[in-house]
Amino acid sequence: MKNPSIRDILYEPPGPKARRRIGITTAAALLLIAGLIYLIIRQFAENGQLDARYWSFFGRATTWRFLGEGLLSTVEAALTGALIAFAVGFVLMRGRLNRFAVIRFVSAAIIEFTRGVPTLLFIYLFFLVVPQTGWELSSFWKITLPCAISACGVVAEALRSGVNAVPKGQREAALSLGFGEIRLFYQILFPQAIRFVIPSLIAELVIVLKDTTFASVVSYADLMQNAKVLISNYDAMLSVYLVVAVIYILINYLLNKLSEYLARRMNRGAEGRTS
Amino acid sequence: MTESNVPVIELRHVDKHFGTLHVLKDISLSVNRGEVVVIIGPSGSGKSTLCRTVNRLETIDSGEILIEGVPIPPEGKKLAAMRRQIGMVFQSFNLFAHMTILENVVAAPRSILKQNKKDARAEALRLLERVGVADQKDKVPAQLSGGQQQRAAIARALAMHPKAMLFDEPTSALDPEMIGEVLSVMTELAGEGMTMLIVTHEMNFARRVADRVIFMDGGAIVEENTPEEFFAHPQSQRAKDFLSSISEH
Repeated sequence: MKNPSIRDILYEPPGPKARRRIGITTAAALLLIAGLIYLIIRQFAENGQLDARYWSFFGRATTWRFLGEGLLSTVEAALTGALIAFAVGFVLMRGRLNRFAVIRFVSAAIIEFTRGVPTLLFIYLFFLVVPQTGWELSSFWKITLPCAISACGVVAEALRSGVNAVPKGQREAALSLGFGEIRLFYQILFPQAIRFVIPSLIAELVIVLKDTTFASVVSYADLMQNAKVLISNYDAMLSVYLVVAVIYILINYLLNKLSEYLARRMNRGAEGRTS
Repeated sequence: MTESNVPVIELRHVDKHFGTLHVLKDISLSVNRGEVVVIIGPSGSGKSTLCRTVNRLETIDSGEILIEGVPIPPEGKKLAAMRRQIGMVFQSFNLFAHMTILENVVAAPRSILKQNKKDARAEALRLLERVGVADQKDKVPAQLSGGQQQRAAIARALAMHPKAMLFDEPTSALDPEMIGEVLSVMTELAGEGMTMLIVTHEMNFARRVADRVIFMDGGAIVEENTPEEFFAHPQSQRAKDFLSSISEH
């Protein structure tokens, strides 16, 4: 069975008139877009942005190696940050669902704090304030920890919404079989909750990845920082930013595809018959 | 041993309120070993709530509930240990959605009774065979019909070797053509001597299988009798009204 697209849900199937209208609009839109692209390129060309000197260094292996190293550092920081955010977020979620009101309150406060403060502020905290206490961190941790902290509250809330979305009957069935609270959570509730929230978690991973572009603040050599080095070396702002943007888009596009794939795989066979 | 004289399930003067609503009024009843007790009554009469108090899915305000003469522990490991001795079948099946049918049946014996994998699997397959869904064992619940899911849910409860089984409207969420297959599994179970407390709207089933029928209305037990007597000669006006209202269609 094919999943219905959003269009199928929102609109009824188009008739002959509507189909003609859709055809005309599509053609007009394509023309408009082509025209815009032409204008942009012409503007670039007139300003000399298409000159060989701005692009030729992309033909060198060293350029790509340099960008590749930056990309690797970006991925390293983003993945480490995401893992820490997941672990801390999990603990906060458990705290938020704890039976003791004090623990619930403290967890909620931490979650609100981390969600409310911009990532850049956490970076300044680790960059400027923490060293004054004599605790000197490497530039890797100066970018990774703030990104993780900034994401952990969101992860906690995503996980919590997943746990709350598990139907109450699942809990009752497990209790009636003699499951204790801990087994109930880890064997029945959490495995179902995680399936519900995989898309939100990957969306948050994308945000962490984008947050790591603040790395230049702490001079950690991520993709963005290396791009800036290239720019000052070749005086080629537009071409480098364009290439780097495309790399970020590709990675995040792949992550979104991964999210869709995981969601599909986990729901396999779960849709369909009801009674 | 005098154990066999002690009722498997006993409620003594149980009261419960939902806010200002008095849902259970001074309920006393007992279910003896091997007995099948069916609770009937109009919706909102408190029969589901009563059923759910027996394994403490609903708490009570006052009174006592005893399993084989022992009061239900209020919390913790002791409560869990008591619950696993009482099987429960729900209106909405409540099979674990992320597990296959076989995993559903194996989960509790494996992680709570610490049965080894091979034994638990063999036992689960035997039970699934018995309720007639062994061929569905590797599917997830959503791929099964309601009747198949409910039969699998019965197998899951039986895998814990319960002393008694609670059925909370087990056929109310089923399409008409699937009710029979679930009731026949339950009839078979009753024939094998399982102690059962059943909340249902299936009057023919109650007539055939019950040792005793309890009629509830407005949170109280109004009548308690053998099915023959109850259906032929209801004593109270409320029971008469209820029986005539359901026989009209």
